[in-house]
Amino acid sequence: MKSRLIGAVIAGTLALAAPAKAEITVCAWGTITGPDALVNGMTYGTRDYLEYLNQSKGGVAGNKIRVLMLDGRYKLDEELKIYRRCADQEQAVVINGWSTGASKALRDQIQEDGIPFISESFASEVLDPQKYPYTFIAGPTYEQQMIIALRDLVAKGGKKVVLMYSDNEYGRGPVNVVRHSGIIEKLGLEVADLVEYRYDAQDVTAQMLRIKSKNPDLVYVQGSTPQLLVLLRDAAKAGLPARLFVSNLYNISPAIPEQLGAAAEGFRAIQTYSFYGSDIPAMKEIAAYGAKNEIEKKDIYFIKGWLKGKVIAAAIEKVINDNKGQVPTDIKAFRKSVREAMEGLKDFDNGGITPPFTYADHQGSVQARVAEIKNGQYVPVGSWINAR
Amino acid sequence: MTKRSILIAAALAAAFALLGYESSRFWAYLIYAVAISAIGAMSLNLLIGFCGQITFAQGALIGVGAYAAGNLGNAGWGGFSLIGAGVCGALCSALIGLPALRLRGLYFAISTLAAQFILSYLFKILQPLTNGVSGLVVKPLVLFGRSVASDQEYAVIAITILFLTWLFLARLAQTDVGRAFLVVRESELVARGMGIDVSRTKMKAFLLSGFFAGLCGGLLAFTSRLANPEAFEIGLSVDQTAMIIVGGLGSLSGSIVGAIFVTLLPEAIQRIGELMPSADLVSAFREMAFGGLIILFLLLEPRGLVSLARRLRSRWGGSRSSAEPQVARPGGALANDVEPVLKGRKA
Repeated sequence: MKSRLIGAVIAGTLALAAPAKAEITVCAWGTITGPDALVNGMTYGTRDYLEYLNQSKGGVAGNKIRVLMLDGRYKLDEELKIYRRCADQEQAVVINGWSTGASKALRDQIQEDGIPFISESFASEVLDPQKYPYTFIAGPTYEQQMIIALRDLVAKGGKKVVLMYSDNEYGRGPVNVVRHSGIIEKLGLEVADLVEYRYDAQDVTAQMLRIKSKNPDLVYVQGSTPQLLVLLRDAAKAGLPARLFVSNLYNISPAIPEQLGAAAEGFRAIQTYSFYGSDIPAMKEIAAYGAKNEIEKKDIYFIKGWLKGKVIAAAIEKVINDNKGQVPTDIKAFRKSVREAMEGLKDFDNGGITPPFTYADHQGSVQARVAEIKNGQYVPVGSWINAR
Repeated sequence: MTKRSILIAAALAAAFALLGYESSRFWAYLIYAVAISAIGAMSLNLLIGFCGQITFAQGALIGVGAYAAGNLGNAGWGGFSLIGAGVCGALCSALIGLPALRLRGLYFAISTLAAQFILSYLFKILQPLTNGVSGLVVKPLVLFGRSVASDQEYAVIAITILFLTWLFLARLAQTDVGRAFLVVRESELVARGMGIDVSRTKMKAFLLSGFFAGLCGGLLAFTSRLANPEAFEIGLSVDQTAMIIVGGLGSLSGSIVGAIFVTLLPEAIQRIGELMPSADLVSAFREMAFGGLIILFLLLEPRGLVSLARRLRSRWGGSRSSAEPQVARPGGALANDVEPVLKGRKA
């Protein structure tokens, strides 16, 4: 009894003497409500992975992660406000932002503040490891995704392509970059037409009839799911099959086959991450998390979010381990070290979400493949291609 | 406007400028966001509340100022780029106001709505001036040869410009021009009978209102570092209109109160909502609460928060605040506590 008591006293003293574990803040904002909320699983996925670590492993290197998920509503002023809150009030060590516009408006500020920033945008304009060392993205750029689709067309013997895009930066920007790069001509393709549509268009029948008159082999759409629903519906009306259309990652959405049914059969999109529910180690983690918590978004975007969570956690863990198990007390130094750790990730095993990647290029995996809607499901129809 | 009211306003401006300078970046951001919105709201109130010209093109006019300031600032105009933004806003506003010489009421309002859409479209296609849909990246404002980079400095600048705008407009309201605005608002027929050149008076209102809308846009461009067409769409016009309705039509201080309310209320609701478990719920709650409060104001206090504050003060035995610019109306009443301008609405 006496020895037990002494043991308890020693254990209690040791527990009190042990340094208190710090709480680390990570900020993630997305369009929780707003025009592109269909793909906001990217934000939920990051939050849920870090929560998974909190629940299953007591956080990262024994330190709880406080995840702040906020709604940027796809409004520039709201996103700028949230950035300041995260950087200043919340003292976040990493920020996961959303739109191309905000990423561009903040890109100088981010470097001045020295905060690792992962943008959901795939725009090449925000990616420049030399000029913007603190800005990262998580996959192939929109331009690289478009080139993959064009290469696929060449491999199948196609010649004529129509480029279709929304009348905003997200639509026009990447199309302009690819057109002016000369790669389309280099691939031996002909641009049969350039077709622009309003990003909130409710009827594009006229544009579809125009495309039909050009008789293209492929229509590449730089758009998002809400627009693709309108586009594919009106394409069917005009007698254009969905198999003619290819778009980027942001159109691997269950909403397309669910809402369009047969009119969506054959539609293709660029897949850059494993599907939700695929047989990969990361899904086992998700299942374990889902056993105790409700997973609100079960799609490929959630998987992307899970991947970003893994990157953030791995970088933070490395910094703490390098600092003899302690969380750096100086937030500026902590942020700088996390940025370096992110950039230093090499052959990073992310549980099969993408092939292992090195993050020195601030992009991570640039592997992609074409997925097609067959019987209401997206199915990979090609092997992984290096988008670079 | 008495010396006392100017001193109170100056003291308040100095206090908020100091607060902005000493506070963290987030609070400094909130302070200048409110100040910039208030400048825009005052410019809109000049047109709608004082002169009775209903417009829906305020968002586009702010956009004109943003692009003008961005281009001029990037070309090295420094502080003059803000004045240039104001001038561009004024010229554009005068163009939008031209139909007002022939149209009235709802018909004119619809013509301004068309102007809003035309300008929004021009922002997207005038590539050399606006950089199209990608938006114009704006360099920091240069004042006295020094680049303004911090949020705290922008807070001081925005508060200073807000104070000067208030001072100018409050003084204007007491001049013959200001009184002419009010007469035109109440009845163009009476105004003509009194020898007021209605067309010229309206044009003055458009020029002045456009100048301050442009100034607001200029500040917005420098603080957000990006002039993007999506930021100047009809939604911004709606926000600005909400500010003057909530604050009080025909009241300058009401414009400021409305700007505070519309800018800060969503943030306040957001913080309260974060105590709730689901992120979707938080955002939905924020939108619903904001919309619901606007409807409540329209139903219960259509004269705005300023009128509500005045009634509460008088009920509790207080006296009228002398900080409020007292705009003389024909008949000796005050412009900021008169019946609403919008025809057919009961106060």
